[in-house]
Amino acid sequence: MKINRILVANRGEIAVRIMKTAHRMEIETVGIRTAFEPNAMYLSKTDIIFDNTEDTSEIPVFLNIEKLIEIAQKTKSDAVHPGYGFLAENAYFAQKCIENKIIFIGPSPDALYKMGNKTIARRIALAANIPMAMGSEGNIDDEEEAISIAERIGYPVIIKAASGGGGRGMRIVRKSEEMAKMFTIASKEAEKAFNDPSVFLEKYIENPKHIEFQILGDTKGNIVHLGERECSIQRKHQKLLEEAPSPALDNNLRKKMGKIAIQIASAVKYYSAGTVEFLLDSEKNFYFMEMNTRIQVEHPVTEIITGIDLIEQQIRIANGEVLKYRQEDIKLKGWAIECRINAENVQSGFAPDPGKIEKLSLPNEPYVRVDTGVQAGSSIVANFDSMIAKLIIKGKDRKDAIRNCKMALDKVWIKGTKTTLPFFRMLVRNPKFLDGSFTTAFIERDLDKYYLNSEYEEMLAAWLATKLFIEENLTDTSINVDFENGKEMSPWLMNKRINQF
Amino acid sequence: MPNDKLNIKKLYALSSENKRFCFPQPLKHSIRIGKRDYEVKLKDDDKYGTYILWKNRKYPVEIIRSRQNKYEILFNDISYTFTVETPFSMQRMKVLNSARGKAEKEVLKAPMPGKIIDVLVREGSNVLRGEPLVILEAMKMQNEIQSPVNGKIIKVLAKANCNVMKDDILVEINAE
Repeated sequence: MKINRILVANRGEIAVRIMKTAHRMEIETVGIRTAFEPNAMYLSKTDIIFDNTEDTSEIPVFLNIEKLIEIAQKTKSDAVHPGYGFLAENAYFAQKCIENKIIFIGPSPDALYKMGNKTIARRIALAANIPMAMGSEGNIDDEEEAISIAERIGYPVIIKAASGGGGRGMRIVRKSEEMAKMFTIASKEAEKAFNDPSVFLEKYIENPKHIEFQILGDTKGNIVHLGERECSIQRKHQKLLEEAPSPALDNNLRKKMGKIAIQIASAVKYYSAGTVEFLLDSEKNFYFMEMNTRIQVEHPVTEIITGIDLIEQQIRIANGEVLKYRQEDIKLKGWAIECRINAENVQSGFAPDPGKIEKLSLPNEPYVRVDTGVQAGSSIVANFDSMIAKLIIKGKDRKDAIRNCKMALDKVWIKGTKTTLPFFRMLVRNPKFLDGSFTTAFIERDLDKYYLNSEYEEMLAAWLATKLFIEENLTDTSINVDFENGKEMSPWLMNKRINQF
Repeated sequence: MPNDKLNIKKLYALSSENKRFCFPQPLKHSIRIGKRDYEVKLKDDDKYGTYILWKNRKYPVEIIRSRQNKYEILFNDISYTFTVETPFSMQRMKVLNSARGKAEKEVLKAPMPGKIIDVLVREGSNVLRGEPLVILEAMKMQNEIQSPVNGKIIKVLAKANCNVMKDDILVEINAE
């Protein structure tokens, strides 16, 4: 093994996840202590800590290319794992690593660049005869060009940022009168978010499913796919629940889509782990959307049904090893569902609810894998994402997995922030989720309430409010309670107060 | 509180959706479902924090806000707002409401630090509960800040492209 020490250029659960596999492979890891999260959990899982707390810049070190190279050199790391987000898909960072003789655990800078630019990716896919939604061949210059293309392919269309991702810089246009305004908005948003105002146009597929294929390739040109993930449960283009396999695919369609996924990856000589995203319409036509050139948040569901450790494969491929699997060796077994437990307020449109995790208890059951980067006492800080934990639930089939999911959700105990738990408690009882017919429009269109509660729960909450009122106003001992009228208090402070009652 | 507080025989908890829950005073530590009383226990320990034990199940609880007789309670990860009224204050409230309509000011604050991307309402706009008012970018996401009530916007303090701190006031609404 050429790789003896990996700098983990990331934080949170994915840093913990990478360290776990590295240690099993007897590879040392380096974690970076930041001023934002000086006591983060991943620091207790790493062999070497690089202290970067003196860096008080608002921009996290995980985005600072020069600094990361310097840290890798100072800590004598021979490889860097970027995780997801931050610099994971940054071709320049990958190139800088190579120039400094540090192994970048991921694909080539060339593949990162080509797939990172959506217009180039589109051109490559077109040349490789990959089914795609109709659209502009390259970037569009102005709204007139956009209107003429939209008239050719038919409305509705979607304007997308060439350098985009994560739902930003995207605008749906349903008629030509809206085009000028939407073109300007999308282009401005793209410039702000990605430093690149270029946009392109695509036919908008109504109510699709989001299906993605996990692929693995080595540096010798061998590529296999590891089946699909169903990721249609999303809000604001951000996934909340993923499962593998998808209830919408049969073996035939899986074979067809898997073959196309491999074809796209081959077109950029892809190596490492990657994901090819498709939209699947109600007639089971599928369209290539984009390729994600990194490990993904939802990778564990694929690991469960294939038994393959994707981080280990990434490390081995970066080490120059030949893939030991051929396509016929990949067997999908059972069902896996991932619930993203985020610090979010489901009652106000999934707005993040950062704060300190006061109490945390996660299921410890054979049918659940828990990936987390926090523990009781950790804070979900506004500088990073709102993830608390991923529950990855196993079952022998979908029904079994959903039943296990219900039990697992009741074994989660989190105090300190609002979470997405009430959403999942509702979801696992929703008929459209149960029968598998949901699409990416599910959350925004098919739900009138984003959470589950019973009338008894509301009654118990009312009982507690009444109890508090009595303690504060109607008992003689209430004199020591110093509620200032109108002043809002930290719930955790008030919590201590209930203890006195 | 009037001096005759010992004479209060019952209390009402009114939800934000105007559901009414009536409890006897002194408060019983049980809730009746059908013909059976089920014991309610409010507990606290190091492992779980504060919780309610009911029908053999633990429910996490938290008091998010307490303001005069208004309480926001987080129960099993869902928040509820109640105002608790005595029969006397209930009567007074009814009189007041019919006299001047029941406009109450709601102040909408930034739930987290971030940047205002867009302000979707103007002073004087009528809004519905759940309607997006402000788009706030934070934690890698654009977040819709929604109206907690039906009402009329009386003040807009949020400005597009400006950064806000947690708890900065975004808009003020006259609730219906």
